[in-house]
Amino acid sequence: MSNRLNRRDFLRLASYLSFGLALPPLAKTLNPPQPLQGNKKNVIILVFDAFSAFHLPIYGYSRNTTPNISRLAERAIVYHNHYAGANFTTTGTASLLTGALPWSHRAFQQYGEVQESFVNKNIFKAFEDYHRLAYSHNPLVNVLFHQFIRDLDDYIPAERFMLTSEGFIPSLFARDEDIATVGWTRAMKKDEEGSAYSLFLSELYKSYQDHRIAAYKPFFPSGLPSVEPGNYFLLEQAMDRIADQLERTSQPFFGYFHFMPPHAPCTTHRDFEGSFRNDHLKTDPKPEDIFTQNRSWELLLRQRLSYDEYILYLDREFGRFFDFLETSGLLKDTWVVLTSDHGELFERGIRGHITPVLYQPVVRVPLLIFEPGREQGANIYSSTSAADLLPTLLHVTGGKPADWTDGAVLPPFADAAQSRNIYAMHAMKNDPRAPLVHASVMLVQGQYKLMYIFGYKELPDQAGRFELYDIESDPGELMNLYTKQNKTGAALLEQLREKLEEVNQPYR
Amino acid sequence: MASVITSRYSRQGLWSLFLISAFPLHLWTLILAFRDISWLTERTNAWDAIGVLSYGLLVAFVESVVIFLVIALLGFLTPRQWESDRRITFLAFLVLITSVWAIISQLLFLWNVSLPTWAIAYLRQSDHPVRIVYGAILMVVMPTVLLPAYSFLRTKKAVTVMQDLMERFSLLAMFYLFFDLLGVVIIVIRNL
Repeated sequence: MSNRLNRRDFLRLASYLSFGLALPPLAKTLNPPQPLQGNKKNVIILVFDAFSAFHLPIYGYSRNTTPNISRLAERAIVYHNHYAGANFTTTGTASLLTGALPWSHRAFQQYGEVQESFVNKNIFKAFEDYHRLAYSHNPLVNVLFHQFIRDLDDYIPAERFMLTSEGFIPSLFARDEDIATVGWTRAMKKDEEGSAYSLFLSELYKSYQDHRIAAYKPFFPSGLPSVEPGNYFLLEQAMDRIADQLERTSQPFFGYFHFMPPHAPCTTHRDFEGSFRNDHLKTDPKPEDIFTQNRSWELLLRQRLSYDEYILYLDREFGRFFDFLETSGLLKDTWVVLTSDHGELFERGIRGHITPVLYQPVVRVPLLIFEPGREQGANIYSSTSAADLLPTLLHVTGGKPADWTDGAVLPPFADAAQSRNIYAMHAMKNDPRAPLVHASVMLVQGQYKLMYIFGYKELPDQAGRFELYDIESDPGELMNLYTKQNKTGAALLEQLREKLEEVNQPYR
Repeated sequence: MASVITSRYSRQGLWSLFLISAFPLHLWTLILAFRDISWLTERTNAWDAIGVLSYGLLVAFVESVVIFLVIALLGFLTPRQWESDRRITFLAFLVLITSVWAIISQLLFLWNVSLPTWAIAYLRQSDHPVRIVYGAILMVVMPTVLLPAYSFLRTKKAVTVMQDLMERFSLLAMFYLFFDLLGVVIIVIRNL
């Protein structure tokens, strides 16, 4: 296969790969969607992993990373100060799926789970009279899906939309597809863990897989998008498959779809490679943090460039998906939410998100809500939390309020509370069954943000690290006001400590 | 066709060859699967972890059949005048030594063993690093294959030692095949 494949051939190739089924691309809707039963509107939540609000022009970024999202935002409710529950996938996604803050759901660690009492307090359970579907490229999210699997009508295993997936698994092991896939992966795929159960066939299988994906490689000069080594995917393929599934799903449906881009490795489509290479982005270096990974400013700029060019890829696919919803007629009966589980950091010597620091780029994420029938956009500037999504969606769809949630109904569907506290945290090294003694917690109240980091041996003062920022006048968080505005800092710290005392109580 | 096979192999010999093909493949599967069980149990539950092990054993069984067929076919390249026992033990030795090297290659990765710094520096400055690496691997692996192979040709003792080893491994392989059967039952139950 040469580089001369056109887009149509490419999409056809993508749809042939996994199961040998030729599925229609998003733009070509062959079948009308299933009719809506009753008055309930559908809900679709699209989560793009590690998508920082600081990289979208609708929030002031100078690079035009999201032309499609910007275009569509004119019809959406755009939340300008929306915070993830945490700074990495497990904890952030658990907040989205339970409507609870991390200290309530306790999914703190990589591959962590929500605590037992939250297994029946999840967004799928809350929408139990809907047809509920879920898909995620990210294995950390699939761990959470497994906990909620009894509340899912259609759980789509991650492998289903991977380029290297095997069509015989869902056919032969339909009732045990997920575990059969894990078994097959461990037996045959050496790349993922560096070892495979199979000593010889795994070598042959690798050559076969390399041959299978070879046709796509020219489209991704920096490497094919992947979740883990050897687990390749195409965002367009996942979007196509989900669109196809939605058309066949009975309505009302509730769909949660969690895609890997722009999470690293950032390997964008060739159409976007080099888009920002010579744009001379104006951004100043920030002082190194004590949790620095020792990455130079030049390296961080290069990594930021790759990330931004990867965003262009997801933006195109989001635009295409949105167009599908519109042309298929689903949009008029569907609430569409675009958000992320956490952000990404390219400053202070740190690249990524698994870090004790909770600076704005790693916790502020996009939130756009597309209301059925809304043509005029709206902008919400009050601070909001990932935990708010569940109660809000229940409210707007006429569902029964969830009594366990830490969130609130978002404006404009309810009045914004002026002095509301917004929290995010990171406690990866803290035992989820123990009080919080090794964590980072953030409190945003109005224009102020307090960051409190405690229990880390790297900290010079074992009492903790306290930072206070006026995020309205200093959005880059360069001036720590904690000692200068001691009164404000102390008041916020007291509130935060009271909260910590409250949430630690059941674990003492 | 049957006479071609019987001219080279006895029924008992083929069965022994199959068992010896199954032995290292199952052993490695079990080692890795038990290594995986704790994280699998943590991520899902013990029943799912057993499920993964069962699928792994199924693959190991299929791989055993494939390797057995390949090695049995290779046996037709051995000298016609060899008696069946010598042929079987020689092929069994080939299976074992190849498996040992395949296991070592994975262990090196699992134990995070890499080349010493001086070797990496030497390869960096050489014009043909890949050729050198392959050459070095060949120099290490070839003697482990050629020397025992030579002893099979020259002495009866090598055959006897190998036969003794095969007997012990075959017994273990029979257990592994029983595990395969259990694995199939578990897979069927999981898919009911």
